[in-house]
Amino acid sequence: MSSDPTPILEVAGLVKHFPVRKGVLQRVVGHVRAVDGVDLHLAQGETLALVGESGCGKSTLGRLVLRLIEATDGSIRFEGRDVRALGDRELRGLRSRMQIIFQDPYASLNPTMTVGDMIAEPMMLHGAGNAAERRRRVEEILGLVGLSPYHARRFPHEFSGGQRQRIGIARALAGEPRLIVADEPVSALDVSIQAQVINLMRDLQRRFGLSYILISHGLAVVKHVADRVAVMYLGKIVEIGDKRAVFARPRHPYTQALLAAIPIPDPTLKRQRALLEGDVPSPLNPPAGCRFHTRCAFAQARCRSEEPLLEATEPENAKGGHQVACHFWRDVPAMAPIAAGIDADPVLVRLQGFFSSRGRDDRATALASGPARS
Amino acid sequence: MSETAAPLLEVRNLKTYFRSEEGLSRAVDGVDLALPRGRTLCLVGESGCGKSVTALTIMGLVPQPPGQIAAGAILFEGRNLLGFDRDQMNALRGDRIAMIFQEPMTSLNPAFTIGDQITEVILRHRKVGPAEARTRAIEMLRRVRIPAPEQRIDEYPHKLSGGMRQRAMIAMALALDPQLLIADEPTTALDVTIQAQILELLRELRAEFGMSLLLITHDLGVVAEVADEVAVMYAGRVVERADVATLFRRPGHPYTIGLMASIPKLTVDQDELPVVEGTVPNPTMQPEGCRFHPRCPFAIDACRATDPALTAIAPGHEVACLRAPLEQHVL
Ligand SMILES: Nc1ncnc2c1ncn2[C@@H]1O[C@H](COP(=O)(O)OP(=O)(O)OP(=O)(O)O)[C@@H](O)[C@H]1O
Ligand SMILES: Nc1ncnc2c1ncn2[C@@H]1O[C@H](COP(=O)(O)OP(=O)(O)OP(=O)(O)O)[C@@H](O)[C@H]1O
Ligand code: SF4
Ligand SMILES: [Mg+2]
Ligand SMILES: [Mg+2]
Repeated sequence: MSSDPTPILEVAGLVKHFPVRKGVLQRVVGHVRAVDGVDLHLAQGETLALVGESGCGKSTLGRLVLRLIEATDGSIRFEGRDVRALGDRELRGLRSRMQIIFQDPYASLNPTMTVGDMIAEPMMLHGAGNAAERRRRVEEILGLVGLSPYHARRFPHEFSGGQRQRIGIARALAGEPRLIVADEPVSALDVSIQAQVINLMRDLQRRFGLSYILISHGLAVVKHVADRVAVMYLGKIVEIGDKRAVFARPRHPYTQALLAAIPIPDPTLKRQRALLEGDVPSPLNPPAGCRFHTRCAFAQARCRSEEPLLEATEPENAKGGHQVACHFWRDVPAMAPIAAGIDADPVLVRLQGFFSSRGRDDRATALASGPARS
Repeated sequence: MSETAAPLLEVRNLKTYFRSEEGLSRAVDGVDLALPRGRTLCLVGESGCGKSVTALTIMGLVPQPPGQIAAGAILFEGRNLLGFDRDQMNALRGDRIAMIFQEPMTSLNPAFTIGDQITEVILRHRKVGPAEARTRAIEMLRRVRIPAPEQRIDEYPHKLSGGMRQRAMIAMALALDPQLLIADEPTTALDVTIQAQILELLRELRAEFGMSLLLITHDLGVVAEVADEVAVMYAGRVVERADVATLFRRPGHPYTIGLMASIPKLTVDQDELPVVEGTVPNPTMQPEGCRFHPRCPFAIDACRATDPALTAIAPGHEVACLRAPLEQHVL
């Protein structure tokens, strides 16, 4: 997506180390290097997806950007302001402009508040509207995420997992933010609601110029909504670039392993997948050199000692272009294209057409009353 | 469904209701399932359609009140679990039947380390000492690919990433080699490489111990990879049952067709994803007739009046739709 040249968010050298304590004296015995030197920029109206192995630091990075936790080192600029230098009051102002949708919807919802009150809360904090207006707005937002007005009176435990996820989204939208960090916003949703939420996030982006950091394990979703993709491994970005480039020509061996592992919704395709072998190294003590070398099929002596830096794959497009952190990316063979699955049955394709927006318009005609099953 | 021997688990006409201010919520309203030994049955369906409540009912974990099991039978190895008392259920649960819950934080106790929680399960059901239980717990953590398990075993749940918590839960569920594993979205929080490893691990356990798996997931890619049979739920009912190949090749229920249409494709660019318009009905006010009719692009007048039962449209393929097979009636 072409967008504003001054980024809405700029992150440089960001580091977060969590101390690990042991024993009765709670002595610090080491650090989890959750985020270990990350640079990012995000343009207004852009969606950057963060993908990578579980535990590689994606949620931590998201929380750092909103300053829900304090960074160990590095800088974060949002709309030109140094987020790490803000005082409490300015930070509260900032929070309405940056929102997060949490990964674990249950843990992030207040069990003693009704859903309506929870969604209205950010509006109350900013003194937006009177009670009636807020109620209307709550109903409108509930509708946006595919819930109904009657849900406003209910408590979180009365909802299914996916419904809770949508409550989290509704709450993030209520403050009318500029940037949303969406941490697995659709992972708890079935694909049909997932599609609704994705379409919704996209509509909102087009209407209000929202920017998103999308954290997701759902690579098909990422492929669908992201403009750019950053692949993380053990606290570092190992590959970043335009979505099309990363999916079409993944350069880093880890990115290739990740894309090769996507389960394809076609049972006739019993793939022989090369599973990524070896244990995930501990972030308490990441491997020296390239952090991926313990599991990499292309590793050589240099990988064990020297850390690869992000390098542009097309020198003429160095800054915003496709970058990869691997010493030997030029030698890594191109990946076989992702299997498309067999062509869908033409009858099925026609039936599925009834669910596309065009299909819906045609419905009246198409419904030329067939008989019911006797 | 094609099975010769008696299934390990059979659910018949199960109804689990909740009392709420607005009236009776029919969360599960006549569910039928059958899971043969050593096989995998995937349960899919729209968020809120009753998948987790079905699983919790099998486990005997529905809070009563507000919950109430209004009808049905749950046959495990031929015995009806709904007739079991608390002690019998406790002996079965965690040992012969284990469950991986959808939200790890609701079932991991934040006040105890993951090691305490896994060893506790082992000590409760097996005659082993604490040291042996701990060794077993570390071994399980390693099998679910938690790095540095000897150290991580002493962590509290909130210090683990989402995916690691999920794996700790899986380790706990598998600690006693259950006959039946009910897994509610077990890999949702995991990246695809670890997901692939966990699915492989579940496959191994099935082969090694003849474990049966009831897998709730909305990742149709996962369904395609691991399922033998699939049951599709909508609004508290099973609306379609088929073997996995049939379900993907020729889904019969309009909801299933819409579901398949809304999968984002990796290999083509789509601007707008097809969706099943509208939302799951309020379970206190299920629509008359076919519960899907308000959202169904194929609905006709009869659908508003008649509630369709699961009916075979081909051997082993059952669909609850008045207009099935659709291709004959619509195209
Ligand atoms: N409060 C904390 N104290 C100590 N360690 C932590 C804390 N929060 C996170 N970590 C550790 O930091 C690392 C990164 O965790 P994070 O939650 O950012 O991972 P993630 O990439 O979001 O993973 P997932 O995909 O599983 O959600 C993990 O090793 C985790 O255990
Ligand atoms: N304890 C409860 N009290 C009242 N209603 C409940 C309770 N638990 C679940 N429900 C309701 O039962 C219905 C089915 O919920 P369930 O959790 O089984 O859905 P699900 O199919 O697992 O959905 P998801 O895919 O989102 O997890 C929902 O409408 C939910 O609101
Ligand atoms: S730098 Fe070496 S170890 Fe790392 S990904 Fe490249 S080849 Fe593999
Ligand atoms: Mg996370
Ligand atoms: Mg559920």
